[in-house]
Amino acid sequence: MTNWLNENVIWLIPAAPLLACLWIVLVGQVIGRKYAHRPLVLGLAVSFAASLYLLAIALPHALEDSHHAVIAPIYQWINVGTINVPVTLRADAMSALMLTMVTSVSLLVAIFASSYMKGDPGYPRFFAAMSLFVFSMCMLVLASNFLLLFVFWEAVGLCSYLLIGFWFHKPSAAAAAKKAFVVNRIGDFGLILGIFLIWQTFGTLEFSTLFESPKMINGILAAQPEIFHWICILLFIGAVGKSAQFPLQVWLPDAMEGPTPVSALIHAATMVTAGVYLVARCTPFFVHAPYVQMTVAGIGAATALIAAITALTQYDLKRVLAYSTVSQLGYMFMSLGAAGAGEGLALHAVTFAMFHMFTHAFFKAVLFLSAGSVMHAMGDVIDMRRFSGLRKALPITHYTFLAGALALAGVPLLSGFWSKDEILAVLAAASRGGEHAGFYATILGIALLTSLMTAFYTFRAYFMTFWGEEKFPEEAGHHPHDAPPAMAGPLAILAVAALGIGLLTGPTHLYGHYLHHTPGLPEGYDFPMDWLMMGISSILAIAGIGAAYLLYVVSPGIVQNLQRRLSLAYQASQNGLYIDWFGYKFIAAPLRGFASICEFFDRWVIDTLVDCVGFIPALFGSMIRPVQNGMVQNYAAVMTLGLVVCLITVLRALAGTH
Amino acid sequence: MNAAIQQLNNAFSLIAPEAVLLAAVCLIFFAAPFLVNERGEAPAGLRHRWGSLSLLALLIAGCVWWQSPPVTRTLGPFVLDELTWYIRGLTLTFGAILVLLHWNQADDARSGESYACLLAILAGVNLIAASNDLVGLFVALELVSMPTYLFLLLPRRDAPAQEATLKYFLLSIFSSAIVLFGMSYLYGATGTTNLSGIHAAFSAAHIHPANPDLAAVKPFLADANPLVAVATVMLIAGLGFRLTAVPFHFYAPDVFQGAPTSAAAMLSFVPKIAGFVALLRLIVPATGAEQAISAWTMTPAATPLLWWLAVATMFVGNLMALMQTDIRRLLAYSSVSHAGYMMVGLIVGMEHEIQKAGSNPVVHSVSGIGAMLFYLAVYGAMTLGAFAVLIAAARSDKRIETFDDLSGLSRTRPALALLLAIFLFSLAGLPPTAGFLGKLNLFFAAWAQGDGSSFLHCLSELPPTAGLFSKLNAIFEAWGRGEDSSKWLAVILAINAALGAWYYLKIIGVMFLREPINRSQQDTVSDTPSLIAAGLCLVGTLGLFFLPGWLWVPIQSIMP
Repeated sequence: MTNWLNENVIWLIPAAPLLACLWIVLVGQVIGRKYAHRPLVLGLAVSFAASLYLLAIALPHALEDSHHAVIAPIYQWINVGTINVPVTLRADAMSALMLTMVTSVSLLVAIFASSYMKGDPGYPRFFAAMSLFVFSMCMLVLASNFLLLFVFWEAVGLCSYLLIGFWFHKPSAAAAAKKAFVVNRIGDFGLILGIFLIWQTFGTLEFSTLFESPKMINGILAAQPEIFHWICILLFIGAVGKSAQFPLQVWLPDAMEGPTPVSALIHAATMVTAGVYLVARCTPFFVHAPYVQMTVAGIGAATALIAAITALTQYDLKRVLAYSTVSQLGYMFMSLGAAGAGEGLALHAVTFAMFHMFTHAFFKAVLFLSAGSVMHAMGDVIDMRRFSGLRKALPITHYTFLAGALALAGVPLLSGFWSKDEILAVLAAASRGGEHAGFYATILGIALLTSLMTAFYTFRAYFMTFWGEEKFPEEAGHHPHDAPPAMAGPLAILAVAALGIGLLTGPTHLYGHYLHHTPGLPEGYDFPMDWLMMGISSILAIAGIGAAYLLYVVSPGIVQNLQRRLSLAYQASQNGLYIDWFGYKFIAAPLRGFASICEFFDRWVIDTLVDCVGFIPALFGSMIRPVQNGMVQNYAAVMTLGLVVCLITVLRALAGTH
Repeated sequence: MNAAIQQLNNAFSLIAPEAVLLAAVCLIFFAAPFLVNERGEAPAGLRHRWGSLSLLALLIAGCVWWQSPPVTRTLGPFVLDELTWYIRGLTLTFGAILVLLHWNQADDARSGESYACLLAILAGVNLIAASNDLVGLFVALELVSMPTYLFLLLPRRDAPAQEATLKYFLLSIFSSAIVLFGMSYLYGATGTTNLSGIHAAFSAAHIHPANPDLAAVKPFLADANPLVAVATVMLIAGLGFRLTAVPFHFYAPDVFQGAPTSAAAMLSFVPKIAGFVALLRLIVPATGAEQAISAWTMTPAATPLLWWLAVATMFVGNLMALMQTDIRRLLAYSSVSHAGYMMVGLIVGMEHEIQKAGSNPVVHSVSGIGAMLFYLAVYGAMTLGAFAVLIAAARSDKRIETFDDLSGLSRTRPALALLLAIFLFSLAGLPPTAGFLGKLNLFFAAWAQGDGSSFLHCLSELPPTAGLFSKLNAIFEAWGRGEDSSKWLAVILAINAALGAWYYLKIIGVMFLREPINRSQQDTVSDTPSLIAAGLCLVGTLGLFFLPGWLWVPIQSIMP
């Protein structure tokens, strides 16, 4: 039994949500539409249990036998001569940790959604798309080669499209879905080019051969060192699209048009982390491309700063959280980029990025779900100017939101504190020496500034929503109700995780040591706790919270004053530094102009040509048609003629060879 | 005496599944007249019983087939090698689907005989695959043709069906005569009707002590018996009728249009298996045979001829299909073009085999004949699926004939529209359907064939300053010298796949974008058997995309 499980647990993880999806699509649409969430919750429970088993038993077992990963060949898709495309699942330490995170958060979100989505006409459709999403995400993480990874990278994008546009009758939702899809496609283009380049260079796309044999990498490195820069920059473009980094971050805030559980699951905890996962997975390549590492850090810093500035003044609660997600993803990329400062730092840079992703998944999920709970109670109103003082009406939501906000702000001893502090520490280490010390010092400064702003805008949202005089919008009715049990349960669990999981796995090095088993990660030196950074980040967190308290609870008048005084800066922040506008004006509009020129060309030149070409079949047909006139004697005559022509040709050819 | 009985027994064991089918045929033909009264009426629902009996016969034949794995080649009249085994599996599987398609097509009184005809046709195809003798091959071919005439006429005996049947009958006997002519010349040239014997005779004549190489083929051809060349052309032309190869395809659109839908479905697929497998039997010595394919001088004369036939078949099929408004005529031309695709596989497979026997064997990724056999199965699933949807979508008073009958199908019967769309996607060769993989295999096989030096040289090794025109010029010059003919086939295949997508997508557009014309919900009849058939075809069409190895493994054992 144990042996069987050890070998087969890995395919149970994606299979369970896939079966749930099939069941909902084939049966759930008709029978038991109201209970369409059940197969998904069941399937995710199985996946979660399987992930835990993989994490705790199957993988350590494999490691004991000195295998680097659990590998399960599913089948040979194409095996024709030299063309061989196997579908193989592969789980190493990094995948196992990621899977545990994905399945646990999805399970809780699914339970939450079962109550949140109640009464929606598309109830089964929602859960079908969500199970397809979890399946794709698990397959993405379990992919054993770049080809499979790319297939599910796209599948995840497709599910995201389906879920953002879930309320497709709303024009804004349809537009947001389209935007997300198109912007992601730009990134995907980079990714597929990167994959082509890997194929071209290495002749294989298998992770095990690519990452576990330093010999091959060193060989290539000696022959063509610059190739790694190209590969890494292309892969990073893919990550930029999926993880909403500058300048492709524009889709994520709009993606909040989707149902809130979707925002919590896909656009906060799981899908957007695929980019981080990709870069972390390809660390063996990235360590040979220090300039790309610096680009990664730079882009991460820029994104973190821009998103944090934008989040300062948003009134839409979900948008605040969306910008904060973008900003936190920027943190992860800063950390990944810190690997460029030295060979020894790479392991820690990757570990801390992955760890921040891990803790972020929990506290961001709880924040989003609490926001969803607020929306639920307020009759789908999410503008923070229209409600306030909800802490008495929605006590559970209040406490869970507070837990998430404290963790995100980086209050000492909570999850966000540990992971963010480690990122700051690794950046500080990077800025202490090496040739790019100045660059990393700048990045560290941005990270610290962002950390202050994070605490501020998170608590701005918290105080605006839950403090002040009690005020409800008319959509909410007179007695807003707090989260029902199916929503409160997941909220509570996630809140506890947001508070405690960092302390449990961070300072104890549980996470770091486990991740260390990932094959291909470079060795690193010991990395001590950075007490200075801990102190600074604690002070910044408290300062940010204090400032928010001062401005939004004690004397709200100051905010009005500030708005008037700094109206230009305020406007800029409100409009996301005009990046969207800039994008529309300077990228989309010229493209549109180009498109209309193309359209003109297409309509008048190509169409005419095509019409001419289209005339050929007609011409051809009018030549053949007289033969095809339904007269059987004609047919026989033409057949005979054809036979005679064939005979003459062949006999002449024979004669010609004499 | 005992030895003779022993031999007979052995021969019988080689064709046991066909024996089962033919026994069922005899039973039905014998019993059916007794169940119809003198006014020609039968008890209602009799067709269900005949259908079930046919399915049962196919099931038993299937069990027998599964229990009789390929055996080493004998010199007798029958052979049971991997090819036979594969084709049998194909025929029996698709035979069951055809039975389901035919379920409600014939009235109760005639259904018995029409099922018997269908089973006889299937047995005939299997016998072609199993034959090792010219006489047996011809008889098996006729066992396919003759019941087909009845099968076309029996279900509906109205004027269009009569016209279709008569056309098919006349042209079919014409083509049979051509085949017989070719066979007689072949017999004259070699002095035996046994296929193994024929191959042995050629190989004995071919292995010349001075030139054991490939180079020996052409000189030998020069002083070869021109009888063989005539036989080759005759056989290809006669079998080309079964394949609907241009210019022997003329019957197809007319017959498809007039015949009952299930008969059209049968015609679109079963004669193609018959034609291709007969060609394979004539050209390729059975697996495990010592003599290589190049031993037979038929091949060098045949490949250029087949090359031109394939090109003409692809282009005529697709270009004519573009102009059709009748859905069955369109599918008829589509089946013509698909025959062209499969001929590409056959040609490059033959060239590959010739080279394999030559001085420097080229081993490449995809065998053309394997790709063809794979495509045959895929084509069966998708085309029968499309016909199944047409049958299921028919109204009580009117069957699906023109595009107008399909317009707005996505509103009135969304599931059927989706099914048909999937089959059409597959026919057009788009992923994620098996049609995509099938075309990809054919394309790879053709592209990998030959060293391709001149083609690639023209594309890449000329100086970049040479310009597009001179490159094209160089390519055409190389083509004029007869180099890289397979690569050209690959290019033409790709062009035709694009042409094909045009009219398949047009149908999808009609179904999904146009408003329904005079269609009300009430007069739709639910035809469960054809829906089941469509479902099975769907499983095949999607399943062979995701698990192609399931079919590819037995195919690879055919052409090692």
